[in-house]
Amino acid sequence: MQKIPLNNAKPGMVLARDIFRGDSPIGIPVCGKGTELTEPLIARFANMDITTLYVAGHPVWEEGGQSIDDFMRELDNRFSKTLQEPLNVMLHNIYKTHLIKSMGGESDRKSE
Amino acid sequence: MTENRNDLKKIIMDTKTLPTLPSVIYKLNSLSENDKSSIQEMARIVSSDQVISARVLRLANSPSYGFYRVSTISNAMILLGVNVVKSLALSSSIFAIMEKDIVGLWEHSLAVGAAANIIARKLGLPECEEIATAGLLHDIGKVIISIKCNNAEKDILQLVRDRQIYTMEAEREIIDTDHAEVGGWLSKCWFLPDKLSEPIAFHHDVAESKNHRIKTAVVHIADILISASGFSDSGERFVPPMQKIAWETLKLNEQLLADIIDEVEDKLIEVKNFSLEIMGN
Ligand SMILES: [Fe+2]
Ligand SMILES: [Fe+2]
Repeated sequence: MQKIPLNNAKPGMVLARDIFRGDSPIGIPVCGKGTELTEPLIARFANMDITTLYVAGHPVWEEGGQSIDDFMRELDNRFSKTLQEPLNVMLHNIYKTHLIKSMGGESDRKSE
Repeated sequence: MTENRNDLKKIIMDTKTLPTLPSVIYKLNSLSENDKSSIQEMARIVSSDQVISARVLRLANSPSYGFYRVSTISNAMILLGVNVVKSLALSSSIFAIMEKDIVGLWEHSLAVGAAANIIARKLGLPECEEIATAGLLHDIGKVIISIKCNNAEKDILQLVRDRQIYTMEAEREIIDTDHAEVGGWLSKCWFLPDKLSEPIAFHHDVAESKNHRIKTAVVHIADILISASGFSDSGERFVPPMQKIAWETLKLNEQLLADIIDEVEDKLIEVKNFSLEIMGN
């Protein structure tokens, strides 16, 4: 899941969270999660002053932003002191899997 | 090189040199003895101070708690409980002093509060709000060390960087105590109940927690998850070892932990936004 500004939204992206009028969780829901974005839908959000939304996976990459390899290297580094601890080895693996999944890695698409 | 442990304890426990806590806090502490009847009185006292009640409500609406909107102090008292509101009044006053300087620690605390709440709910534990609050407050000792011993804090951070060690180890070397112990002293000084002070004092040594080991174990694991995810910069560069006793106390298993982590990672986006919103104004 990634939070993106509305002007980065593209048709084909899938909402990961409900959208509420006025960007507020107590506003009236206007579009449910799981909905695939289309041009008219994006235009409608713009008219309703929606500024940000949550989409599935990690579809937007910033110029010069970190790649999955960078994230993986940092993760390994954080765990480098405790890789002789069985519980931390397990934890490390769970985070690796999560990272690959959240960056839109192989296993992702179907499940989200 | 600095004061020894006892001197430091005196300095830390001396509430007069703590950055002035609003008088509301002292009134609340004096009320805490007599129970039920004082709830309304407490709500009235907190509501009468606009700055405090705004801070309490802001934290009550943070991602550490699962409620969509808590709009009044009496509401917060009902939804979160008296203890939680009282500790929010205290901690928000402490955090208010630091906010701009130590964004990293503030974000780390919010994240651990949110993670502790998720773990507690997933495990179906009672008193999720207290557990979330303990998570929010777990590193309060670091805030106090930073306020009271600014020079020592710099040395600690330097040592952590130079020798690639854990904050606890550096703290013991430089100030002969550590932020968990300091947090424990502080909770005593503030008359926080054991169910909050134990997780604060023992989140790095779960076995020491005798009466509230489950809550302590939740905070311990929440803290580790947040450092594992690399969220924000709390000054800790390495994931500490997850203690077996915490794992066993909560009867966790790999699948359950993976589910918890999925949920925590989603929540962290919210925590980040919440913190940005607050820092922005
Ligand atoms: Fe800590
Ligand atoms: Fe921590």
